[in-house]
Amino acid sequence: MPELTGVEALRAALKEEMYKDRDVFVMGEDITRYGFGVCRGLLEEFGPERVRNTPISEAAIIGAAIGAALRGMKPVAEIMFVDFILIGMDQIVNQAAKMIYLSNGELDLPLTIRTPEGTEWYGGGCQHSQTLHSLFVNIPGLKIVIPSDPYDAKGLLKTAIQDRNPVLFFEHKQLYIQKGEVPKHEYTIPFGKAAIKREGKDITLIATSWMVKHALDVAEELRDRVSIEVIDPRTLVPLDKETIVNSVKKTGKVLVVDESPITGGVQGEIISTIMEEAFWNMEVPPRRLGSQNTPVPFSTPLEKEVIPTKERIRKQILEMI
Amino acid sequence: MNISREEKVEMFKDMVRIREFEDRAQQIYREGKLNGHLQTCQGQEAVAVGAIRAISKKDIVFSNHRGHGHYLARGTPAKKIMAEFYGKVTGTNCGKSGGMYLVDVKRGMMVASGIVGGNICLAVGSALASQIRKDGVVTLSFFGDGATNIGLFHEGLNMAALWNLPVVFICENNQYAEATKREEHQKIKKISDRAISYGMPGVTIDGTDVIKVYKTVKEAVERARRYEGPTLIECVVYRLAGHSAGDLGAYRPKGEEEKWRETYDPVRIFQTQLLSEGVLSQIEVERIIKEAREEVEEAVQFAEESEEPSVEMAYQYVYQEKN
Repeated sequence: MPELTGVEALRAALKEEMYKDRDVFVMGEDITRYGFGVCRGLLEEFGPERVRNTPISEAAIIGAAIGAALRGMKPVAEIMFVDFILIGMDQIVNQAAKMIYLSNGELDLPLTIRTPEGTEWYGGGCQHSQTLHSLFVNIPGLKIVIPSDPYDAKGLLKTAIQDRNPVLFFEHKQLYIQKGEVPKHEYTIPFGKAAIKREGKDITLIATSWMVKHALDVAEELRDRVSIEVIDPRTLVPLDKETIVNSVKKTGKVLVVDESPITGGVQGEIISTIMEEAFWNMEVPPRRLGSQNTPVPFSTPLEKEVIPTKERIRKQILEMI
Repeated sequence: MNISREEKVEMFKDMVRIREFEDRAQQIYREGKLNGHLQTCQGQEAVAVGAIRAISKKDIVFSNHRGHGHYLARGTPAKKIMAEFYGKVTGTNCGKSGGMYLVDVKRGMMVASGIVGGNICLAVGSALASQIRKDGVVTLSFFGDGATNIGLFHEGLNMAALWNLPVVFICENNQYAEATKREEHQKIKKISDRAISYGMPGVTIDGTDVIKVYKTVKEAVERARRYEGPTLIECVVYRLAGHSAGDLGAYRPKGEEEKWRETYDPVRIFQTQLLSEGVLSQIEVERIIKEAREEVEEAVQFAEESEEPSVEMAYQYVYQEKN
């Protein structure tokens, strides 16, 4: 199986969908010539009508994508950094998330917004390194996708593009350079199906996005001491409660790791969901790991201090067993 | 551009329908029968009717919270709108909207925005879809003077002009952004002056003159349909109502509304014109008003007698379930 980087896998998904479906088009700031490069090369294949560089106008990018989706197009809007998505927050929360509901199902909104988030020594500082997906989990009407490796990224993006609902697709910056096996043949990954990335029996480690890589590394390093089951929800909305709860019922221990700041983050939501169904199966209290409740600082030692790392995951696991 | 007698009568009928509908809705609201917010559009009837008549069936409209007139002019049944005000299952949105976010997909009326200026960029995106597909559809975007101060207005108009998108921006300058007089929320005298900074034509017209609105919008729509780009049309009107139906306008200078009502009431202006042109007789005018009132009363009765939505509908269509 060929190895692709996250960028290449995402681009492959876009290409396949654009070849298959004339309604799919991409737009965003400098997508043909700058930035992380997911859309690089699409202009030459699909032309300027369907591959659009935009002004620096995040609200208009998102708003226009919504308007086009209301007319049956399947736009894939790119927001260069998740931090910039906040300029278009109104369009996502007040418009996109409400269109299907307000029309009582008469309208579809087949919209995908792709955006990179997270850090790990990226050094973007507090307006280019945030992890914001938890904000959107609190908005009914949106689907939230958060792939952890190139294989999932491709399969999930294809599903996102063909979904009739607005989908926010969060790509960790480390995913872009991470390599992984991606088959040549076409495949999709359904929403709401968690991946058991590693089976285990002693403790459930639920990890998202780039944290999955850390979780798998820790599970491997501690293999002789503890059997860790690593679960990647892949989509936060819809959330695969069944796979998660069943695992925790089996292990009686759970640690949830996500790069969102811990207060109000999705980690707590996942734990609440588990406790509603598996409270009496618990052997130790559940734990959560996220970024500290600070802006993301620039200087590397400061950044390392506040974001969840492999070492912190290991420490938590060792304390729990 | 000649406008037939019949067309003029149709326009007048629609303006009267809107006025009667809004007056009655406002009255019902003040009687405490309606929940939530209700923003009526008395004084702006000529814009709704003139602009909507200037587009064709396949065209798309993005309206706003003060948009009941746009829907009535497009043919959305009065009874469905009234039922929506009552939160009934027979309403335009099955009771999920109330007065601010009406929708009528069949008639090309997209979800109206209750956020001021919130769907200007959606209209731009609808026009983008038309440009990519080359489907010849033109999109109208309605908003008020208040909306021209928000960022979405700027981002949207810039993008639309840059890409020559087939969209017409119609600003209903009704002199008030909620309770703030226009002179207190923007320095410029003419909102259409902003068009030049985006590289699109802008024009300010008397929004109480339905024929003028019709002709101006028609020209802009034809231009858009040729993919020659968007136009900003500022229609000067006066909101002959409060911001919402419960608002009695205490912040307005004494006598201001009365003054405008005397000279800038679009329904009365058009009525006088049609009478003097001999297009309508006084008896015909009275019949039109009577018919409009009957339609509104039927709508009220329909709304009051309609069922409320079943509670499970609260959970329906948060998402489209099937692909």
